[in-house]
Amino acid sequence: MNQDPFKKETYLGMKLDEDHVEVPDFPMNPKMKRWDRLVNVLASPAKNPVEPVISTTTGFLVLKVAPILAGTALTFIQLIFFL
Amino acid sequence: MNLIEREDQLMIAFQNGDDTALEKIYTLLKPSLYSFVYRYTRDEQLSIDLVQDSFMKLHRYKQYYDPNKGKLKSYLFQTAYRLMITKLNRRKKWRSFLPFLTPIEKGEIDHADRLTIRDAVARLPDKQRAVILLFYYHDMTQEDIAEILDIPKGTVKSRLHKAIQSLKDELGGEFHESGSI
Repeated sequence: MNQDPFKKETYLGMKLDEDHVEVPDFPMNPKMKRWDRLVNVLASPAKNPVEPVISTTTGFLVLKVAPILAGTALTFIQLIFFL
Repeated sequence: MNLIEREDQLMIAFQNGDDTALEKIYTLLKPSLYSFVYRYTRDEQLSIDLVQDSFMKLHRYKQYYDPNKGKLKSYLFQTAYRLMITKLNRRKKWRSFLPFLTPIEKGEIDHADRLTIRDAVARLPDKQRAVILLFYYHDMTQEDIAEILDIPKGTVKSRLHKAIQSLKDELGGEFHESGSI
């Protein structure tokens, strides 16, 4: 298999040629420091991690009830240990 | 003197103290290095960071490059590939701990829509994607790819074969249509 496998795959080659990349103009030395890069990552738009939960009625209900249940449990734990 | 020999000569000049040679290497190799990283990650800012980091590394450790061991282009692509894999793995790890850092991705491809070659390449397994990008877009030999990815030549051959097959399967409908013309 030393020959070019794309010789037989002309259509695939044609499709691959359709993907052009625009190379932006940027200097060799980074202007952004490590800290700026971290801030960039933290500040970029992110998806809502609880979205799959709130999309269903049960999930939404659990999300509403869970803090109340957790709060009640914490209250009981405090009552048991500190009273 | 062909382009590859010119790049290697420039690197030797840079190792001997000619700092302007690095600028010339950057002008020659930046477009192909950026294209490779961008086609792999599809993230413009990350690609820019990785190209800059690769050249910074080349600048800092210039004495480690040995022209007898391989071409400068392969050496630089290897550096960029390793940096990219490290960065992507680190990103994946952080995102598993902190899911709110996961950026908004483009919607899933609607099956009714035609799959573009860009989508098909993006859906390839990481290892196959690297091989096909280096082979097709950068005219790398199987030996060069083996060196860059640090895998045996036989593995390059099999990954290339699998990648071509996967792309043909992904673009299946279009292949059948083109065959009927």
